[in-house]
Amino acid sequence: MTTTHTSTSPGPPPATFSFPRDYYFPPFFTRQPQRTTFHAQCQKWSSLIQAYCRAHRIWKLSLVDALDTDLFYNKRLGKRLSMADAREIVEFMRTEGRAEWIGKPGAGEEGGTAWIWWRTPEEWAGAIAEWIDGTAQKNTVLTLYELTESEATASEEFHGMDPELLQKALNVLVKRGKAQVFGQEDQQGVKFF
Amino acid sequence: MGNTPSSHKISAQDKAILDMKNQRDKLHQYQKRITVLTDREKAIAKEMLAKGNKQGALLALRRKKYQESLLSRTDSQLEQLEKLASSVEFALVQKDIVFGLQQGTKVLQEIHKEMGGLEHVEKLMGETADAIAYQKEVSEMLGGRISNQDEDEVEDELEAMEAELSSVPLPDVPAAELPTKMGVEAAKEEREEQGVRMLA
Repeated sequence: MTTTHTSTSPGPPPATFSFPRDYYFPPFFTRQPQRTTFHAQCQKWSSLIQAYCRAHRIWKLSLVDALDTDLFYNKRLGKRLSMADAREIVEFMRTEGRAEWIGKPGAGEEGGTAWIWWRTPEEWAGAIAEWIDGTAQKNTVLTLYELTESEATASEEFHGMDPELLQKALNVLVKRGKAQVFGQEDQQGVKFF
Repeated sequence: MGNTPSSHKISAQDKAILDMKNQRDKLHQYQKRITVLTDREKAIAKEMLAKGNKQGALLALRRKKYQESLLSRTDSQLEQLEKLASSVEFALVQKDIVFGLQQGTKVLQEIHKEMGGLEHVEKLMGETADAIAYQKEVSEMLGGRISNQDEDEVEDELEAMEAELSSVPLPDVPAAELPTKMGVEAAKEEREEQGVRMLA
C-alpha cells in the first residue's frame, strides 16, 4: 500500500478487507453514461473508498498510488478504474463532504491527493472530546503526540491519526471554546475545557 | 498560534507541564529509535554469523549491548519525568482544593458575621422564647373565650333537640290489668319457702 499517510498505523492493516458485491461487478469499474446511474455508482464508490480507508487507516489518498492497489484495481476481473474516473469520484465525495483535495484538485499528471473523511474533522473532534470526558482529562495539558501515539489512546479510533488532521479536529474544538492549542510548532500541546 | 482568542487562559504552570511532557515524548521517540537499532544490530549479527564473519557479528552485538544500556538509562529518566509531571499536576489539584476551602471558610465567616455572633444568637433565642410564651397566653385566652361561646351554642342545640323530641307521639298505655298487692306478696312468700327447703 503506497498511499501517503504521515503517521504510523496502530497495527498492521487487516489481512482481508471484505469488498462489497458491486466490486465484483465489471460495469462498476466503467463510468456509467446515464446520469442517475452514474450518481448511484459514485455513491457506491464513495462508500467503498471510505470503508477501505477506514479499515487500512488511510487519511490521505494519493490517486496515482491508489490506482495500483486493490481499491481501484480488481485483479480477479482484470478491471481498473481510470484516473479521470477516480478523480471524478473523489470530486463527488468532496461535494458530499467526504473528501477534500490537498493542494490543487487533480493537479498535473499525479492525479492529486485528497483527504478522505471516513470521519469528518467535526466527527473526529467529537470523538476526541468524548475521550477527554470519559477519561476525566478536562483542564489537563496533553501533548499532540500523546493524543495520537501514547498507549492511553491505543484502543481509540484516532490513535495514529495524521498530525495535520489532528490539528483540523482540534481547531474545531478551539472554535467551540472547548480547547486551546499552545506551544511551539513542533512541540504543541492542548488543554481541554 | 492563529487560534481564535479564548476566555480560558493558559498559565505558566500549563507551559511548564507541556515542556515536561514534550521532553517525555522525545524520550519515548528516542526509545523507539533505539529499539529499532537494537533489532537491526541483532539481525546484522545473525547475518554475519551465517556468513562466518564472527568478528563482524561480535561488533554488531557490542553495538546492540551499548544501545540497550542507553535504553535502560532513558527508562529511569522517563520514570523521573513521569513522576515529576504527575507531582506537578497533583499539586495543582491540591492548590484548587485549598482555594475551594478558603472560599468556603470565607463564606461561612460572612454568614456568621451577618448572624451577629453568639451573644446575638443567645439574645435572639431568649426573645424567641418570650415571644412563644406570650403567644401561648394569647392563644389560651382566645381559646377560653371561644369555648364559652361554644358552650352556649351546645346548650341551644340541646334545647332544639328536646323540642323536636316532644313533638314525637308517645306509645299507648298498656290495656292489661296490673297484678294486685296480695298476689305479689303470696308469690314472694312462696319463693322464700323454696329457699328454706333447698337449704335444709
